[in-house]
This record gives sequence, C-alpha cells and structure tokens, in this order.
Amino acid sequence: MAVDALDLEVPAGKTMVLVGPSGCGKTTTLRMINRLVEPTEGRVLLDGRDVRQSNPAQLRRGIGYVIQQTGLFPHRTVQDNIATVPLLDGWPRKKARARARDLLALVGLDPALAPRYPYQLSGGQQQRVGVARALAADPPVLLMDEPFSAVDPLIRASLQDELVRLQTELRKTVVLVTHDIEEAIKVGDLVALYRPDGRLAQVDAPQRLLGMPVDSYVSDFVGFDRGIRLLSFFRATGLNLRAEPIVGSDSTVAKALGAARDAGQPWILVTDSDGKPRGWLPAERLAPLADDTPLGTVPAEEFGHTFTVETDSLRAALDAALLSPAGQAIGVDSAGRVAGLLSYDQLRAAVQAAEATTKDAAGDAEQQPRSLRA
Amino acid sequence: MSFFTFAWDWVTQAANWHGPGSIPHQVLAHLGYSGLSLLVAALIAIPLGIAIGHTGRGAVFVVNLANAWRAIPTLGLLILLAVLLGFSFVTWLVPLVVLAIPPILVNTYEGVAGVDRGVKDAALGAGMTGWQQVTRVEVPIAMPLILVGLRTAAIFMVATATIAAYIGLGGLGRYIVDGLASDQYGPVAGGALLVIILAVAVLALFAGLSRLIIPAGLRRQGRSE
Repeated sequence: MAVDALDLEVPAGKTMVLVGPSGCGKTTTLRMINRLVEPTEGRVLLDGRDVRQSNPAQLRRGIGYVIQQTGLFPHRTVQDNIATVPLLDGWPRKKARARARDLLALVGLDPALAPRYPYQLSGGQQQRVGVARALAADPPVLLMDEPFSAVDPLIRASLQDELVRLQTELRKTVVLVTHDIEEAIKVGDLVALYRPDGRLAQVDAPQRLLGMPVDSYVSDFVGFDRGIRLLSFFRATGLNLRAEPIVGSDSTVAKALGAARDAGQPWILVTDSDGKPRGWLPAERLAPLADDTPLGTVPAEEFGHTFTVETDSLRAALDAALLSPAGQAIGVDSAGRVAGLLSYDQLRAAVQAAEATTKDAAGDAEQQPRSLRA
Repeated sequence: MSFFTFAWDWVTQAANWHGPGSIPHQVLAHLGYSGLSLLVAALIAIPLGIAIGHTGRGAVFVVNLANAWRAIPTLGLLILLAVLLGFSFVTWLVPLVVLAIPPILVNTYEGVAGVDRGVKDAALGAGMTGWQQVTRVEVPIAMPLILVGLRTAAIFMVATATIAAYIGLGGLGRYIVDGLASDQYGPVAGGALLVIILAVAVLALFAGLSRLIIPAGLRRQGRSE
C-alpha cells in the first residue's frame, strides 16, 4: 500500500508541495487526484465533489498535468503539443494555435518555437512546453510530478523561479511532487512531508517546517542547514545598519582614520561620488600615509556582494557579510547607493529575533478556503 | 552463359511482351496476388498489433509468433490446402497471408507498445480517451515501425507469390515453374530477374511512402524519449 490514511487539504490558489523519500506515495497521491490511480478506500474531493463522479477523460482535461519526462508528443509541433487539451475540447485549430503561442510567451519561450518539434528543443525548453501544455485550457488545478528533476541544476533553479512568478500571476491550485526539499521550500506555499511508510509527517508552511519541525524525522529531512535556509523568509528591512565608517573617495586619509577610530572598526568602506560602494580599506594600510592623501588614490579591496535593504532577505545579508573581506555586509538601496553596514553580531541578533517570531508568523498560511481535498 | 545473359535475352524477346501469358500480363497478376495478400494481412495484423500493443494483453503470443515465423512452411501449406480445397482462391491466398501477418503484427505491436511511458502518461493525463490515445498518439508514433513491417511483408509477398503457379495460376512463378518443367533456362532466369526487379521497386515505393506518412518530428530523431 503506497498511501495510507492520508488526510490532506490543498487551499485554492496555493502551491502544495508533496515531498518525501522515493516510494513514500507522494506520486500516488498526485495521481489519485486525476484518477490515474484509484484509491482502494477514501475519497478525493475536487471543489467538494468526489472525482470518481466525473468521467476520467473529462476530469483530466480540467486538470493540468506536468511530468518529469515531459511526455511531449514527438510527432507534433510545439504549438500542437501545447494545444492538446484545447483541441480535445473541440476548439478550432486556429484559435488553439493562437492560444499556444500566447502560452509560449507566458512560460518565457520565444513564440517562434511554435512550429518546431520537441527534439529540436533543449531539456529546459521542453519542460517549459510541458508546463504550457498543462496550462493551455486554463485549468484551475495543476498537477506537477517531479517537473524539474530531469533538467540540470541551473536550469532547474530558473524553472522554479518561473513557477513562482507564474503563480503570483495565475494563482492556480498547484500540487507538486518532488524529492527535493530545497525545491519544496522554494516553490511551496505549503509543504506536505511524507514518511517512508506513506503517512504524513508534517504539513506546514515552509518556514514553519524549517523553524518548527515536529520531530527528528522532519528536522533530518529538511537538513542540518535549515537555520540558514530559514533566513530566506525574513526581510532585511528591519535591520539597524551602521553609518560608520563610510567615507567618500574624495575624502582624505585623516578623515577615514578618524571615522574608523570613532566606530572602533579596522575596515573603512570607501564610496564613489554617487554614494555607491568602491572598496574596503584596512586602517593599517592608511596609517603610514600622509594625512592629506586623497582616498581615491589608495588601492582598495574588492567590496564583493551587497544586499538590497528593501528587497533582500536576511540570508542575502548573511551571504554578503560572509563574502566580504571586512566581515561586514554592505546594505544598498534600490539605486545601489550605500545605506549602511552590518556586522556578524548585528546579524546574529536579527536572526535570533526572526526565529522567535517564526512560531507566530507561519500560522496564517493555514487559514485558506478549501478547494482540493485529497 | 551467365544467369543475367539468359535472363536478359529472355526478358528482351519481343514475343514475350505480347498476348496472353506475356510479361506485362504476368507482372500484373503477380502484383495482384502480392497486393491482395498484403492487404488482407494488414487488415488483420495492424488492428490486432495495435490492440495488443495498447493493452499489453497477448504480448506473449506476439513474441512467440515472431519466433515461429521463420518456420512457416508456405509451400507445404499451399499443397495441403490444394489437397483439401482444390485449386481455389483461398488456396493461394491463405499461405501468403499467413506469411505476411507476422512481420506486420510484430512491428505494429513493437511500435505501439514501445511508445515512451511518459508520452503515454501525458496522453492519458491530458484527458484523451483510449481511442484518442491510439489514433492521435500511439499509431502516429508507431508509424515508422508499422511501415517497416509492411515493407518486409510486401517483399516477402512479391518473392513468394511465385507459388501461385504451383496450383496452375499465373504470376511470374508461371515462367519459373514451366521453365523448370520443360528444361528451359531462359524463362526460369527471366522470371527470377523480374521478381528481383519487382522487389526492388517495392523497396523504392516504401521509401517514398515513409517520406509521406511518417510525421516530420519522428523522421530525424528516430524514437523520442
């Protein structure tokens, strides 16, 4: 028995990711929704209606279906692949093909690919066509079975980003199966984590799964680095940035050393005339120089990564601090101008504060209207 | 004199191109036997191969048939039927059809059953009915193999339709059988040469047919994944 005593509810317009080790029944769960697998007992309700009351073919035309191997029809052009369900529904060919070209653009492909054949596309392009095909008849529900597992990691990441972007636009009820917890956390509004025996271990918003695993199985599955990944869910906006020591490149060595002394910091950030970061200078390199030496003439260290205060997460801020020669993260505004500096100590305090709020913050994802009950 | 000199001299004799029993007449008869056998075999084997390939039921039968095919005694079957039924239409048609069915059936089955699992899953998941899966996805994808089966069978028909002459019918076998009976090497070699030419013509016909019938998306890549 692949799935046992499963009670799962997928809120309308949300992405529910089913994740777990192979053989845990996550794919079986997915395939029960469009009746590719029939449950031996229990019911699958779609919008409150038992799926077994519908004719299987009719039911499936109303549910988008994306699979790992793409399953594109090799004898059909890209546009006719995408138009599969509209054509089954009896659309005129012209209208179906026009819809197919719109969808190519929607999934980020050049509509000029429409008359090509699947074998002429890359793996990533084929997978996008698979998504476009599933969306063609505008179904309210989308089932995705390991949709990005067969493409290389770089393409996979861009396809995941694309799905998240599409979802903000389309708000489909998505059920996605994956074995990759990273993917689950990245694309899911809710994550259902399966145990190997086909029972559910935890169903929660990703940040709750990371922050409040119910037991050691869950914490092991989400990984030892879950603390760091949790930081992706917190904005950097609330951080208290330091304004010192930051000096313009038209300033002098004396001023820079003064700023470093006042802040008690061994590194000085030099900015250009627009206020954008130019580089880091260690105080000890400036000490032997004449007081009126312009900073612009002193070679500086690369400033590396910055984080954008308004839009980035705490994880980006931590990354910026880790990769900085000065051990300080440079926060910038949307124009790239320096907004302030952040040290490890400040980051640690922010991370602790963020983790403390996890328990309250994640709860709201559960209060959604029901639509799909599996 | 070599085979080709015998054959060529005989084929080019003007007398052999006119009247009843002439070359054009026998070629047409030969094509008639071959074509009709192929048609009957295709009407049986293609639907059966599709059904077995689609459902997976009866696959063992197809595999065994493929193995047994080489052992079919066509001439023996012809003589048996001739003894049982006399010299009728069925007498020559049945052995030829029995010979033509296996390659068509096996290739059709392989083509349909061999459609990628992901493609089948996608067709089902898109909401195609069983009939739509077969007609819109499985048969088009299996078409290259179905044509291979038909081509193999067609060449066998052209080569084997000579047996019709054993029961007093026409076709190119007439020249071979009569030539052997009267120790005339010319018609034997000429008839054989004409059979070879017809077989090559059938190959060419199927090469053309492939271009027309096999979907463009399948032509360059063979099987897709």
